[in-house]
Amino acid sequence: MGALAYYLEEEGIPTTQISLIREHTEFIRPPRALWVPFELGHPLGAPENPMLQRRVLLAALGLLEAPAGPVLADFPDEVPESPPGTDQEPAVWACPVSFAPHLKEETDREKLRSAFRREVAELRPWYDLSFERSGRTTMGNFAPESASKLLDSYAFSEALERAGQNLPIAVVLRLAAHDLKAFYFEAAIARPGSTPPGSAEFNRWFWTETAAGRVLKAVQKRCMNEEDKALRMTGAMLLVPLGQA
Amino acid sequence: MARLDRMPEPMRSHLANLPCPSFENRPWIQGEALSQRRVSIISTAGLHRRGDRPFEGATGDYRVIPGDIMAKDLVMTHISTNFDRTGFQQDWNVVFPLDRLRELAGEGMIGSVAAYHYSFMGAADPAAMEPAARNLAGLLKGDGVDAALLVPV
Repeated sequence: MGALAYYLEEEGIPTTQISLIREHTEFIRPPRALWVPFELGHPLGAPENPMLQRRVLLAALGLLEAPAGPVLADFPDEVPESPPGTDQEPAVWACPVSFAPHLKEETDREKLRSAFRREVAELRPWYDLSFERSGRTTMGNFAPESASKLLDSYAFSEALERAGQNLPIAVVLRLAAHDLKAFYFEAAIARPGSTPPGSAEFNRWFWTETAAGRVLKAVQKRCMNEEDKALRMTGAMLLVPLGQA
Repeated sequence: MARLDRMPEPMRSHLANLPCPSFENRPWIQGEALSQRRVSIISTAGLHRRGDRPFEGATGDYRVIPGDIMAKDLVMTHISTNFDRTGFQQDWNVVFPLDRLRELAGEGMIGSVAAYHYSFMGAADPAAMEPAARNLAGLLKGDGVDAALLVPV
């Protein structure tokens, strides 16, 4: 990020930036930067909190009026504990969609596959509701069923369901994995009255309680045994977050 | 939280050990008051229009995002799995604050919002992004932009 600011400023464009990793910005010393104490993925603070976003934005833009630099300022707030106007978030978020209870005993491959299919089918109406309500989905490349079929077929069978994607398979698998997680998240927050989980709660649920999380780990395992370098890299780095393997 | 000293391993070491470029000189362009500036968002979140080419890897290229884009038409294909996406899934402004920027322009706090915004995929090596970034400066000037707001993810 700091390097981009440097190149643009050198070409004559005034820049200001948000910084998430202060140590990187201290080292690169771009012209103007506002360090924020928020988690990775939340540079403007928090979703559905326009007042906080506005203050972050004004603080970053305000640096454009600094008389000299480089400037590295700190945003004073921590992220609020819970969205304004709501009660305190419960300590452990529970998914409002309850899956068939015998999932945990389903250890062999065919049982995992059928549990995965059931999850996708059970979440679909909630995903549809979320889409109808917000008019938006962040699934970028796949419908829910085509993402799940592709990942299932790569993990567990020889015949790969490519679904007409004209990209390298390593890229297709990564896009499908991210779309699958988006599907689970959007479905899980759709029930009226449910409070969206924080990222840690959602990750804990997705990676430890769903068949989808186990299928993605099976995809990862197969990738890491491939000869193709891009697939091995995808398996090692791009499917399962650090610390979840 | 994005504080290295509070981050669990192995993420802490992963981020602490990312190579950062070092630069000799300190470019500094002075400009108008904020209320006169035309602002463009430059994101490194791997964002693009739905239907545009997904980011395939760390090649340093960028995508053009038209200024009249709506939230439902913006998707994210960043390659990393080590940052939270659920914030963006709830509200695009947490990553791409275009609604907030439009409000500031409406109130006269900034001069105007640019006709185009841009997104790189931030896991790319800065050296790989340099040619595209220098080229982008020309496009920004053509749009009358005198404030680039760089937003990481």
